[in-house]
Amino acid sequence: MTETASTDTAYPGLPAESPMGAPLDWAWLRGAKSEWGVHPKPSPRGLTLMDIATGTYADVPDAPRDRSMAPRGCDVDTDTPDMGYILNGKTDMWSDNVMELYEEAVARQWSATRDIPWGDLQELPSDVEHAMCQLCTVLCEVEMIAADLPAKWMWRMNHDFIEAKMFLCTQINDEARHAEVFRKRALANGGGLLLSRSGPTSLLRTIIEAKTYTQATALMHLLGEGLVLDIFRMGELIAPTDVEKRIFRMCMQDEARHVAYGTMHLRYAVEHDPDVAEEIHEALDHGETVLTDFATAPDISTALAVLLARGTEDVETKGFPLLMELNKKQFTSYLARCERAGVSRLERTKIPLDLLGIDPATIRTAAA
Amino acid sequence: MQIDTTGFFEALAAEMNAHPDRYRLYGEADMDPVLVMRRPDGDFRVRLHFAELRCEDITEVDESETPLSDFQLDGDLEAWEGMFGDIRANGSATGLWTINSLALMGDKIVVAGNDPMGTDKFSRFNQTLQEFLDGAARLDRAATAS
Repeated sequence: MTETASTDTAYPGLPAESPMGAPLDWAWLRGAKSEWGVHPKPSPRGLTLMDIATGTYADVPDAPRDRSMAPRGCDVDTDTPDMGYILNGKTDMWSDNVMELYEEAVARQWSATRDIPWGDLQELPSDVEHAMCQLCTVLCEVEMIAADLPAKWMWRMNHDFIEAKMFLCTQINDEARHAEVFRKRALANGGGLLLSRSGPTSLLRTIIEAKTYTQATALMHLLGEGLVLDIFRMGELIAPTDVEKRIFRMCMQDEARHVAYGTMHLRYAVEHDPDVAEEIHEALDHGETVLTDFATAPDISTALAVLLARGTEDVETKGFPLLMELNKKQFTSYLARCERAGVSRLERTKIPLDLLGIDPATIRTAAA
Repeated sequence: MQIDTTGFFEALAAEMNAHPDRYRLYGEADMDPVLVMRRPDGDFRVRLHFAELRCEDITEVDESETPLSDFQLDGDLEAWEGMFGDIRANGSATGLWTINSLALMGDKIVVAGNDPMGTDKFSRFNQTLQEFLDGAARLDRAATAS
């Protein structure tokens, strides 16, 4: 039994008009039908979104009645304007871990200005500095797609899914910081930004032009961010100094949070609306082709190979063989993520598994 | 100190809990990993319970309890000794001996888990876990100083 905010007879004797003669409405004080007195208990770290998901405030509707910016759980006037939302189903953007991920994002923010030991940068051999700067150029370019893409869709998401929108706001902020930190690194050590060519932009265009948000998130979170996450995971191998290691380590944690949201959103969508699986597959059919072009684009693969070999001298004997091994792991990780999301790509993928030496059975077993 | 003992991990937990500022950069972390050290005479499994900026509990668990963790890091005792040896020699894990690189390469220590929301905590809280493991070097320094 829930208690409502007030009754029509509460606070008798209130004035009906303002001192200027305008009619007054006291409905918020004595007429609201929303739930009152839920008393959430703070957890040890403070009052989290999970703590306040209590009573009717915990109910996230599958198909919200209203399409306004009224906060979920309040008493909404029937004549509130429609905001024109087109993503009005919970399956459109929800993920069961989204509240935890929001709290995590807020608790684990860092500063590209203060938390990177910029003063420890060392002069590097010219080829290594060039390779680092080229990688930073690519990362500066691709990171902001994970800000632009949610921004494109968020204003079309029903406001009852506020926690999902709040999480996407943290993602946008994270990606701004990633663009910042890689731009700073490119300029900070005597180098600068280098080449931008069509490979990355083709992938970004595919993502931003996706027809639905679910397709977009499959392309961005599973494919794009998943690929970048694995580049960050390689950080220990490609970073020339502790400065770059710190950068990759901090970015990796943020990126993993974004991938966790995307993976679990797609899983939620497929579990509750199986028809959406084909929509995701269609997007990934095209996306994988573009992804392969991106991952093997010359400006990226050569820069990574030089970093892995610690210079151009051993790029053929050390750099490229190690890069091939890591590419195999990137694509394996991607396919495993698809399994976890409930959209198995093993029978349908455009990625040349034989060429890469990827055994689908291993992925199936690992993801089971 | 022998690494396949709860005493070793309790010492790491005490080291972490005594220095919350070291972990503040990474932020709060909630995770329950199990580390599995494969030994010929029976495996050692220890569950670590992290909450906010602390490691709140260390428990030796058996195989049946392992899947209840967020994720497992599983490798031969020799691999774990190699990792802690690198940490002790360098003050913190380097290159291929970081827990991230070990799991990425997957030839010495693998990351596994039944729950995708749990398994991905390995990457989300990776640096908190690494800092915790790097505590082995600080324990050594403290032991030498005392």
